Amino acid sequence: MRKLFAIVGREWRAYFFSPLAYVILAAFLLVNGYIFAVIVNYLNNPMNAKSQALPFLFTNTFFWIFNLFFTPLIAMRLFAEERKAGTLEILLTSPVSEGTVVLGKFLGAVGFFLTLWLPTLVYVAILRSQTPIDLGPVAASYLGVALIGAYFLSIGTFASTLTKNQIVAAIVAFAIILVVFSMGLIENMVNDPSKRDVFAYFNLWDHMEDFTRGVVDTRRLVYYLSAMAFFLFLTAVSVAAKKETP
Amino acid sequence: MIRDVFPGIWFILPRFLFAVSYMIEVENLSKRYPAGLAVDSVTFSVKEGEIVGFLGPNGAGKTTTMRVLTGFLPPTSGTARVAGHDIVTHSNAARAAIGYLPESAAVYPEMRVREYLAFRARLEGVSGGAVRDRVAQAVDLCLLEEVASRKIENLSKGFRQRTALAAALVHQPPVLILDEPTIGLDPVQIIKIREMIRQLGRNRAVLLSTHILPEVEAVCDRVLIIDRGRIVAEGTPSELRLKLAGTPIVRASFRGEVAATEALSGLRGVASVDVVTGPEETRVRLTCLQGSDPREEVFRVAVERGWVLRELLKEGMTLEDVFVRLTQHEPSAPAAEPGGEAASAPPQGAQA
Repeated sequence: MRKLFAIVGREWRAYFFSPLAYVILAAFLLVNGYIFAVIVNYLNNPMNAKSQALPFLFTNTFFWIFNLFFTPLIAMRLFAEERKAGTLEILLTSPVSEGTVVLGKFLGAVGFFLTLWLPTLVYVAILRSQTPIDLGPVAASYLGVALIGAYFLSIGTFASTLTKNQIVAAIVAFAIILVVFSMGLIENMVNDPSKRDVFAYFNLWDHMEDFTRGVVDTRRLVYYLSAMAFFLFLTAVSVAAKKETP
Repeated sequence: MIRDVFPGIWFILPRFLFAVSYMIEVENLSKRYPAGLAVDSVTFSVKEGEIVGFLGPNGAGKTTTMRVLTGFLPPTSGTARVAGHDIVTHSNAARAAIGYLPESAAVYPEMRVREYLAFRARLEGVSGGAVRDRVAQAVDLCLLEEVASRKIENLSKGFRQRTALAAALVHQPPVLILDEPTIGLDPVQIIKIREMIRQLGRNRAVLLSTHILPEVEAVCDRVLIIDRGRIVAEGTPSELRLKLAGTPIVRASFRGEVAATEALSGLRGVASVDVVTGPEETRVRLTCLQGSDPREEVFRVAVERGWVLRELLKEGMTLEDVFVRLTQHEPSAPAAEPGGEAASAPPQGAQA
């Protein structure tokens, strides 16, 4: 456990030593600052329903663009960088299992992702000081953000083991994430209700809307957690397989 | 059977019988890459307090063997035990006993030296309270005090290498596996690192790979020469020289034209005499019997006859010659121009 924390801590800190992290952080805050301005603008109109305001932070198009584009960029360095620099040899010859290495790196990336969202709590605090806000849906929204982010990052972690080139890793991750994401959107294109149900199971956009309403559906939790476990398992297998041919 | 009940028996038993503790035991270890066999049933052992040099040309299988021992690569066949733990079935225990300096000496460039050492200590399972002490000891041992709070990426190659070495021994492992520890360092740094390794080797088992011959002579108690995946020779540096020395050769040259053949062929210990005579100089090559040294006799003859002796030397076999002879693959070519006894610094030393 101590070893896992050592890896998580190192990975999380490593982000803040690279310029990319600050570019992502700045872009993220810029976009969310804009969204917040839109929300404030919306609340200025007394005709609008106040309860609709905050969910907008999590269900707008920028939210998805951010998640689709930036999670691959966050995860791409996890293994690709270490394989290129040769430092992976250190991790894999330490008395630490491959699973621990994979989990540690993944959690480090999730930690960085959550750090990005930390400043947005200020928006919640500001809105709450001006207008009554139910904290239940807010908590559920952040849970949804964490789950979807972690899901995408698990895909990114896997893609990062496939190559020494970080850009290639990011592109592969983006491709897989895009497939996973758009699979759910097919729901809106089919009419057969039984097929709709199947695609609805993958419809992340709708899931997120549920979360913002404060609905924490166990089916969603099972889907995200099992998908994450699946990709992390693939990651561990990929790391082990790469040992054969260094 | 008995092995299942008491898996350590094959490790414990020899200890009782010979009272020697082997920290690294390798048995018929092979590693096959898709491209071919990199390590071909290698067997050797290293005991505590011993520094063993793993010597071989580039691509001979040194790094592969070390990577198998450290658990980075799985072996294709054969077994190895490190501190009594099988590297395949008890990989974690074996890895915990090893301090490994990879060939690349890779370190995380963005971390500070002390921070990196603390990370490595935690990764090796050193408990929270002891981390500080262990890091301080490693910093002391590797003389890193002056750079301990600097970022690794801003350090010189020598300090970086020492940081990697410090990281390999921060958890105070009983076994050290060092892959080319002095590569890319300047001569002063090389001497420092070698001293450090000698000191570390007193109470540990050290396996050290190199293709630099003076390094082996300077540091190692025993040498394994590996070539194309096979161990071709094993012994102390002097044993190897003796074993493979062949017949000694004495060269001499005299001013002017002298009747060397007639005068020298009768000397004790001389098997045959080759003479090249020129108007300026007479050059003589004496092939001697094993163990004989007729140099003083040659000098006496020269004095008696009033010849001017310009040169007189015995060609001993340096470890370099042994190495070249063993790892050279064209059977027809003789061991390359052997250096004289006086030539004690082969060119590889300067290049490193």
